[in-house]
Amino acid sequence: MEKMSYYAFVAAILATGLALILYLGYAVSGLRAARMQTAGNGFGMRGGTLGLVIEPRTATFGRYGSILGWLAFAFLSAWLVFRTLATGHGPFANMYEFSVAFSWGILGAYYWFERSYHQRILGLLALPIALAMMVYAFANPAPNEPLVPALQNNLLLTVHVAVAIVAYGSFSIAFVAAFLFLFQQRPVERAFALGFTVALIALVVGAIQSALLVGALAAVVAGTLAGVLVYAVDGRRGLAAIDTSGGSWGLPRPVVLDEIGYKAVVIGFPFLAATIVLGALWAEVAWGRYWAWDPKETASLVTWLIYATYLHARVIRGWTGSRAAILLQVGFGATLMTYFGNYFFGGLHSYAGLG
Amino acid sequence: MTNQTRAGRLPGLAADPTALVDETQVARQESRGIFEAVWDLLTSMRFSLVVTLGMAGLGVLGALIIQVPAGVEADASAKLDWLAGVRPRFGGWTDVMDRLQLFNVFNSIWFRGLTAFLTISLIACMVQRAPGLWRTATKPRITVGDRFFAHARERDSIVVRGDAADLTTRTVAVLRRHHYRVVAEDDGAVNLYADRFRWAPFGSLIGHLAIVVILAGVIVGSLFGFREDAFVIAEGSTVAVPSGEGLSLELISFEDAYYTTTGAPSDYASELILYQNGQEVARHTARVNDPLRFGDLSFFQSFYGPAALISVTSADGATELFSDGVALAWEAKSDGRSVGTFTIPAEDLTVWLVGTLGTGDTLVRPGQIRVEAYRASTGDPIEQASIDQGVASTVAGLSFTFGREIQFSGLSVARDPGTLIVWLGSILLIAGFTIGFSFPHRRLWARLVVRPDGVGTLAVATPGRASHDVDRAFTNLVTDLRAACAGPSAS
Ligand code: HEM
Repeated sequence: MEKMSYYAFVAAILATGLALILYLGYAVSGLRAARMQTAGNGFGMRGGTLGLVIEPRTATFGRYGSILGWLAFAFLSAWLVFRTLATGHGPFANMYEFSVAFSWGILGAYYWFERSYHQRILGLLALPIALAMMVYAFANPAPNEPLVPALQNNLLLTVHVAVAIVAYGSFSIAFVAAFLFLFQQRPVERAFALGFTVALIALVVGAIQSALLVGALAAVVAGTLAGVLVYAVDGRRGLAAIDTSGGSWGLPRPVVLDEIGYKAVVIGFPFLAATIVLGALWAEVAWGRYWAWDPKETASLVTWLIYATYLHARVIRGWTGSRAAILLQVGFGATLMTYFGNYFFGGLHSYAGLG
Repeated sequence: MTNQTRAGRLPGLAADPTALVDETQVARQESRGIFEAVWDLLTSMRFSLVVTLGMAGLGVLGALIIQVPAGVEADASAKLDWLAGVRPRFGGWTDVMDRLQLFNVFNSIWFRGLTAFLTISLIACMVQRAPGLWRTATKPRITVGDRFFAHARERDSIVVRGDAADLTTRTVAVLRRHHYRVVAEDDGAVNLYADRFRWAPFGSLIGHLAIVVILAGVIVGSLFGFREDAFVIAEGSTVAVPSGEGLSLELISFEDAYYTTTGAPSDYASELILYQNGQEVARHTARVNDPLRFGDLSFFQSFYGPAALISVTSADGATELFSDGVALAWEAKSDGRSVGTFTIPAEDLTVWLVGTLGTGDTLVRPGQIRVEAYRASTGDPIEQASIDQGVASTVAGLSFTFGREIQFSGLSVARDPGTLIVWLGSILLIAGFTIGFSFPHRRLWARLVVRPDGVGTLAVATPGRASHDVDRAFTNLVTDLRAACAGPSAS
């Protein structure tokens, strides 16, 4: 079983990688198609008042990309089954198991939205996140070890991670949608979106390499640099005049992205609430205290609060659109911090002994 | 509230039926007093958004900065020790950070203030919102103006033929088939109002109030709860439970088991018997994830360590002064030895026991224990000696026997009457928001005008922000309406 789960995992990595290449081809050809069209007209056919792009001419790449992506999802599902059979418990025992499950959640959430919104460009950004999670898991394999006493609550913890995976997967999609939304706004927003993303990557990589401070510094420097660079380039090219309501560069229209982001949070928000409550339930059964302000608990609550502000922002004048999208980016940053909590808070948090 | 758009409202559209709700607010704006200003602040979503972000920011600080362990904050000397421990890391900032309560963020005035504000704000918001939701659900406006049909985000107009009554029946039938409830009003034209899920917005209301319920549970717990995190019993001993009620707990045995493959711990189990006024009332082997529960009191397996079976008699061995297991549950700061203590009040004696560090320890060799006797009333040392296991040795004029090494179990004892309230609030919160999200209130207005020659129009419109599913549902509905109203009666 362990061998089988390993093969399924490797197959999933390969399929995701190939799918990503095809999505890239899809995006590039979409960009070219968009260039050839007259400005403002977008490409492809539009249906309904929302103007969802139904099938642009460059769909072939995208279709095969999706098939491969589905395949990757199927391999990850097989991994889940094999791994669970091999270990006898859900994928909650270590970061390896949790990370593969996370990428399963991202792919699942992405294809859930692809089915109803047909925006394959999202895959171009969602798949790299899933792939990064898989590569992280691949680099940090964990043997199938029996559970220490605190983790011997199979049912509760399995539900806890399952629910968390849905929340995290949805938030990843919301992040991607927010990124593409901001990318089509004014240069400031575009610079922010890129700078923030670069900074987030630097921070997480730094933390994983046990160099949180270096990571933080790199994040500030790289983020600022990326932002300034984009801003400078944009300014010179005069792209500020792009139409912020129509899809630019063959990207989905901002209204659609706004809606996808919202729908993703609508799923993720109650699931994150359930994750937190189940975690509290476990803490009560194991330690007799449902809440102890443990850093990881705290981080998940912070994440939840950020998404709550997003839900409010979306109906407050002046906070809709870009600000709401920025909250989605920040929320995903908080999600990652919660997820990699051990790296972020581990070094700073020490457990006081008795006396 | 006046500076906000509402979901479901079309900005700048006088004919929007949902704009009704805001008129009271406009009136309120005109006569602003202090009460109104406070109320506006409390019910401002913009302000609550900033407050929530503020709480999130404090949460980040609390997660990143090391926090004082529970209990240390209240104990001034322990607090100073603790601050000294973190000073190397924070240097000159230590005192500033302490002054700002950054080492105790979640009990700080900042965090409590924001939580209190948010709680009041939540109640105020929902009090303000409930009547509007109730009106929308029970007394919807049925007739709306033409402008609404001309400007709504989702709208369509269907050419119909036939008799008004018949067409109305058909329209209503189609709406019902689409799971709409329909209310009609006749003012020359036929006005129809149709909606689905009109009670679902109360889900979001309940979700908000559930936050207040959870906080109430937390407060109940901290006011009426009881907690002891270091309840220590040596094997074979019985110790009074400090929660009152005449309870005492006996530890029959403690087992720690390990996986042979990895050496990692596999199980910690304390076999416990609970007595109330001497009568056995509960018996359970408590494990991690499986506490002993008695009424609303629970005992959780928390930690463990070495203990010593000690007996003390008078020098001649005639009177037994003490005989029990003593948990070596503390750690000496200087050298990390396990230490434990007991008293013999009749002899005005406090005894500290010090365990061995293992092979190579010359002060307390393996198989030995060190006995340090102090005068209980003054704290003056009397005598110290390392004694061998199983041999009666004289220390401070009494005969001490170190029976053998056993183990102690450390339990957390907790009673939290707020827990149930917290779970109830959690369920309400998840259920409430899930219902609110899954079943957004769908509303639709239709107006049927038929000219004497039997030709007319059926205008249909739905308010609100456009979205993919609303769009699709509306398109399907209009298609069905068209099929039902345009066809048969024309022939
Ligand atoms: C931490 C506290 C809060 C949380 C977690 C929270 C959460 C939410 C969520 C999830 C929604 C979306 C519900 C839906 O669309 O069905 C929502 C909507 C709403 N919230 Fe809150 N909320 C909080 C505090 C507040 C406060 C203090 C106010 C009042 C100022 C408020 C007023 C509202 C209103 C009026 C809506 C409806 C928005 C609309 O028209 O769609 N909330 N809130």
